[in-house]
Amino acid sequence: MDKSSNPKIAIYDFTDCEGCQVEMVSLREKLLILESRVDIVNWRLGQEKKEQGPFDIVFIEGTPITQEEIDLLKVLREKSKFLIGLGTCATLGGIPAIISQTERKKWYKKIYNENYKPRGIDALPLAAYVKVDFLIHGCPINNEELVRIIEELLAGKKPSYQSYSVCFECKQANNPCRIIDGKPCLGPITQGGCGGICISGGSPCYGCFGLREEANVEGLIRILEEITDKKEIERYFTMFLSREKNAQR
Amino acid sequence: MLNDEFIAKIEGHGSLTIDWKKNKVRLNIFEGERLFEGMLVGRTAEEMHWITPRICGVCPTAHNLASLSALEHALGIKPNQTTILLRDLAQCGQMIQSHALHLFFLSLPDYLGIDRGTELAKKNPEAFKNALALKEVSDEIVRIVAGRIVHPTRTCIGGFHKLPSKTDLKNLLKKLEKTESAVQKTVELCAGLDYPELKVNLKLVAQMNNKIVAVSSNNIFGKMESLVKNYKKDIKEEIKNYSTAKFGKYKGNEILVGSLARLAVYGDFKEKYDLDFENPFHNNLAQAIEIEVYHQNAQGIIGKLFDMELEPKIVKPTKNPSFQGIGTIEAPRGGLYHEVHLDKDKTINYVNIITPTVQNLTSIEKSAQALLDQTKNRSQKEMERLLVMLVRAYDPCITCSVH
Repeated sequence: MDKSSNPKIAIYDFTDCEGCQVEMVSLREKLLILESRVDIVNWRLGQEKKEQGPFDIVFIEGTPITQEEIDLLKVLREKSKFLIGLGTCATLGGIPAIISQTERKKWYKKIYNENYKPRGIDALPLAAYVKVDFLIHGCPINNEELVRIIEELLAGKKPSYQSYSVCFECKQANNPCRIIDGKPCLGPITQGGCGGICISGGSPCYGCFGLREEANVEGLIRILEEITDKKEIERYFTMFLSREKNAQR
Repeated sequence: MLNDEFIAKIEGHGSLTIDWKKNKVRLNIFEGERLFEGMLVGRTAEEMHWITPRICGVCPTAHNLASLSALEHALGIKPNQTTILLRDLAQCGQMIQSHALHLFFLSLPDYLGIDRGTELAKKNPEAFKNALALKEVSDEIVRIVAGRIVHPTRTCIGGFHKLPSKTDLKNLLKKLEKTESAVQKTVELCAGLDYPELKVNLKLVAQMNNKIVAVSSNNIFGKMESLVKNYKKDIKEEIKNYSTAKFGKYKGNEILVGSLARLAVYGDFKEKYDLDFENPFHNNLAQAIEIEVYHQNAQGIIGKLFDMELEPKIVKPTKNPSFQGIGTIEAPRGGLYHEVHLDKDKTINYVNIITPTVQNLTSIEKSAQALLDQTKNRSQKEMERLLVMLVRAYDPCITCSVH
C-alpha cells in the first residue's frame, strides 16, 4: 500500500512523566505493525522528523501547564482532524492537578525562590482549553486499550468507551472486593479498560480511567462513609480526579 | 512553532542556545513546574511511593523504591531479606528497561544513521531483535516483581502487597538465560561505535552503601567520599532564569552521574572495554555494559530467592520512630535522593527530592562548551548535530529534573 495515503499521525507531550509513551514503546512488535499502517510525521520523543501539519490524528500526552503549551494545544486543535488525549494527565488533569492554582503560587516561592518567575499557570486537562475528540485514560494507559482504540480509528470508526466499570474486570481478575473487605475503592464508578491492574497488585483504585457513564458517585460516597472518614475519601477523589469537572464539556 | 525548538529524542523539553560569536552554549529547560515536593505535603505516607513514580515514566520504579526507603527510614522499619532481594531485582529490571529504551530508541540512531528507533528493524534486523528481547525481559522483571512495567502496584511500606510465585521466578530466569546473547551482541554493537572525540575534566559520582563517592574523570583511583545523610549540604542546587530545573553541583564541582560514573566508581572496566571516562559520549557504551552487569545480577538474585522461603509478612513501623527519613537509590541516570518528614499521624510535612539529571545538568553545559571549544573545522549545522548528540549521550531526564 502506498505509504503516503496512510493517515498522518503526530504525537505530542506536554508537562508529564512520559510514561504513557513508554507503555506505547512496550508494544514492541505490535508497534511496528501499527507503524506500517500510519505515517508518524511528528513525534519529538521518537524522531527528529517533524512535519508542520495538518494531521489526521494527534495524540497528546501530559497536562498543558505553561502558556506555550496552552497555545500549542490550540494550534494543534486547528491542525488536526481528530485530537486524542493520551493518559490521565491529558484527559483528567491527573497527578499534576493535585496541586491547586493557589497552592502553586505558594510552592513556587518555597521550591524555587521569591524572585523566581514561574512559567506554569495551572494544571488542567486538555478539554479545559479545546474540544477533545477522544480520551484514552489511564496512569499509565493500558496497551490493549490503546491498540483497540487505534484499530477502531484506522477502520474509520469513532472509537467507543468501555461501558462497564472497573468492578467487572476486577471480578474477572479474581480479586477479592476491596469494599466488602472494608477498604476504600473507586472501582465502582470508574470506567473499565485497565483490567483492574492496581487492585490485582494490592493497591487501591483511585479512578485514573475516569468516571464511567452514569456513575453513581453519591451512592459510592455514602458507602465509603461507612468504611472510612471524609478526609480519606477526599484523598481518593483528589489523586487523579480533582479537575475531573474541567474535563467535561 | 510546533516543537521546533525542543531537542528531539530526550526525555522532556529542553533546547540549546548557541551563541556562535561568543562561542558559548546554554541548556534551556522548558518543562512546566511540577512541584512534587509541594503536592506531597499534606498527603499520607502511603501515598508518597504511589505519587513519586509519576515524576518519571522511564524510571518510575527507582522513584518508588527511593520513596519506600525514605519512608521506612522515617518509620523505623527494617525490611526483611525477601523484600530486599525483590527490590534489588526490580532495580535490575529498571536499569535494563531504561538503558535499552535510551540506547535503541533515543541515542543509537545518532550513531547508526537512522531517525526513529524502529527504523533499525530494516537497517539492522538482528540488533533490533536484540533490542526488543532486552525490552521484553526487563519489562517482565519489573512486571513480575512490581506488578506493572510503568508505575508499580505491588510494592508497599514494609514489603510487598503481593509476592511473585517461585514459578514466575523460574520462568523469568529462563527468559534471562535466553537473552544472554542479546546482551552480548548489544555490548559488542556499542563497543564498535564511532564515538566523537571529547575530553572533559569532571567528577564522576555514585552512591555506595551510605556514602557518596566521587572520582575524577582523569584519575578514577583517587576517591573522595561523603555521607549520604549530608546530601543536601553537599549537593547544592542553583536556580537559573532560563530553566525550570535546578542545576546541581557536588561540593562545588560539575559532576557526571549515571552509568559511566558507576563503572568508574565501582570497578575498573577500562581495560576490557576501552572505556574513556573523560569522554561523556562513552556513557552510551557504559549503559550497554551496565545492561550486562544488571542482567547478570538479576540472575544471581533469582538464584538466592530460589534457595529461601519467601517471607510475605509486611514489616510494621516501630513504636518510636524518628519520622524523618532519607531514601537513596542508584536510578538508571544516577544517584536519586528522597527525603521525607512525617507528622505523628503519618501525614507528610516535608519532602525534598534531588534527581540524577539535576546533578548532570551543570556538567552537560560544561561538556557542551568543551565540545564547542575542542571541535574544529565543522559547519554550524554539523556542530549543532554533535551538541545535540552529546546531550542525548548523557541521557538526561528533564521530566525528572523538573520534579
